[in-house]
Amino acid sequence: MAEYTSEDNKLTLKVVFYGPALSGKTTNLMQLHSLLNPERKGELMVLETRDDRTLFFDMLPIGLKSDSGLDLRLKLYTVPGQVQHDSTRKAVLSRADGVVFVADSQPSQQDNNANAFGNLEENLEKVGLDIDTLPLVVQFNKRDITGVVDETVLQTRWSATPWSPLIMASALRGQGVIETFRTLLDRLYTEINDEFELVSRHGIDRDRFITRLSTSHEVNRA
Amino acid sequence: MRSFEDDPTLDDLLTPEQLQRLNHALSALCRKPVTITPHRQDDAVAVEFNLETVGWLSGGASPGERQVASELVSFLMMFVAKYRLAANLHHDTTEASYAELQRQNEALKASEARYRELSGQLQQRVDEQVEVIRQTQQELYESSRLRSVGHLAAGVAHEINNPIGFISSNLGVARDYLDDLRGLLPGTEANRELLDDFHDLIGESVDGAKRIASIVSDLKTFSSIDQADYTLCDVNKLLTSAIHLLQTEYGHQLHITERLDDIPKISGHPGRLSQSLYNLLDNAAHALRDAKSENGQGRILVKTTARDNEVDIVIQDNGCGIPDANRSQVFDAFYTTRPVGSGAGLGLTVARDTVRAHRGTIKIDSREGTGTRVSLTLPGT
Repeated sequence: MAEYTSEDNKLTLKVVFYGPALSGKTTNLMQLHSLLNPERKGELMVLETRDDRTLFFDMLPIGLKSDSGLDLRLKLYTVPGQVQHDSTRKAVLSRADGVVFVADSQPSQQDNNANAFGNLEENLEKVGLDIDTLPLVVQFNKRDITGVVDETVLQTRWSATPWSPLIMASALRGQGVIETFRTLLDRLYTEINDEFELVSRHGIDRDRFITRLSTSHEVNRA
Repeated sequence: MRSFEDDPTLDDLLTPEQLQRLNHALSALCRKPVTITPHRQDDAVAVEFNLETVGWLSGGASPGERQVASELVSFLMMFVAKYRLAANLHHDTTEASYAELQRQNEALKASEARYRELSGQLQQRVDEQVEVIRQTQQELYESSRLRSVGHLAAGVAHEINNPIGFISSNLGVARDYLDDLRGLLPGTEANRELLDDFHDLIGESVDGAKRIASIVSDLKTFSSIDQADYTLCDVNKLLTSAIHLLQTEYGHQLHITERLDDIPKISGHPGRLSQSLYNLLDNAAHALRDAKSENGQGRILVKTTARDNEVDIVIQDNGCGIPDANRSQVFDAFYTTRPVGSGAGLGLTVARDTVRAHRGTIKIDSREGTGTRVSLTLPGT
């Protein structure tokens, strides 16, 4: 849950990258770390891995300071995708303000996607969150691989859900990563603006919120 | 409780000893001593970890020196914090898993207790059912025995019925012939005496034959050999037959009062009903025999009444009654207080099962030394 402490005027938000094992959650975070150039950006902490697989979680903090002095922090987490790390996933997922679900586009992985999404739904319920109101973006990653499931097929499959349209990405190539992140920021803003008076008290409107947290190096150069 | 993801403070990251050591090492590197404190000093620069200021570094020979020292500390903090975060998360998840395990353990224990209880109940139920089966088997055996005795009685009755018919009729004709003879023979004293005696003999024989016919008729009703299983039965008639049989058994010595109302016929099995009623009457007769004489003359009252499409039957005696201690057992199969050989202990069991089979009720009120009242209620058609 978003946490606001008035004595230091600090608002901390938590976004969790969820998804099946090896779908590219850490890669998303690494790309964000290298592509993004927001006002404030911390170190990408890759906590512990074995054979390139996350054991605990990764974390990337970014932030901005508003004119009103609001210290806004966004902590981006990944969870371990492997089935056996469910308790870790649950612990990381608790108090999340938004979720990016990173799915694998390969046909062989569609069952894993479904299982992981079911697991997300289950764990959200266990930590007291509601999947229908939580800002959630679904990204289909690995579009660079040949033979992936056709985009129209995927879009049609998800069209009846609140998470349509899906975002196609190739995290390895840095494509669609920022777009995913911005879509999440957009949905997140809708949820938190009223509660924390972002625009009325701190002068952070939707556009500011999104652009200032997701400024990329490319834009800066332009 | 602090969550693993809460921003760590300087205290969380370093123990005072570690902080002191770090200060020493940094001071040795710099030209002037430096100190890291949790709170801001005048010339201090922030030591940051993950956008969070975890402490302030002051001292040193120049701002540049402070800056470099601060960056070095931040770099070190990163690894300390990494370990701390992982350890905290591990601690959190272990605790959560342990709590979950405990919950499951509790649930398992509860379910085990439930199953244990269930298994106990099951054993008890099996025992009860076994007992019921045993009783039913015994009753079946007993009732089939009774049925074959009934068959035999009915067969005998049927065979006797014809000869007794013509004996009765012949005796009647013989008496007429005797009257004719009286006119034909000379009216001497000896002849008259002979004829009178002859007349008495035939009269007694006619009465005897009548009684045989009546017993045969009762036997037929009682065994109901020529009736279908369930039929409309006249309870009063069944009672009368049973009473006649009982009187025969007890040499017409019983004082039985019949108060039989006009009651509707009910649907039932006449043979089994007769058997039950006979059992109850027989019990009453036994009770009278066992009673102490100060109760006055032993009496049996047999009463029937009709009520709301139901038939009530009461068989009451002023005999010995049932002691309180035995009251709960009277319906049990093979329970008897009589001497070995005089009863199987099935009379009331059969009566109760028959009444139940007729969707009726049976109730026994008794006081030791005063008497017993058995009330039956049988539903009408």
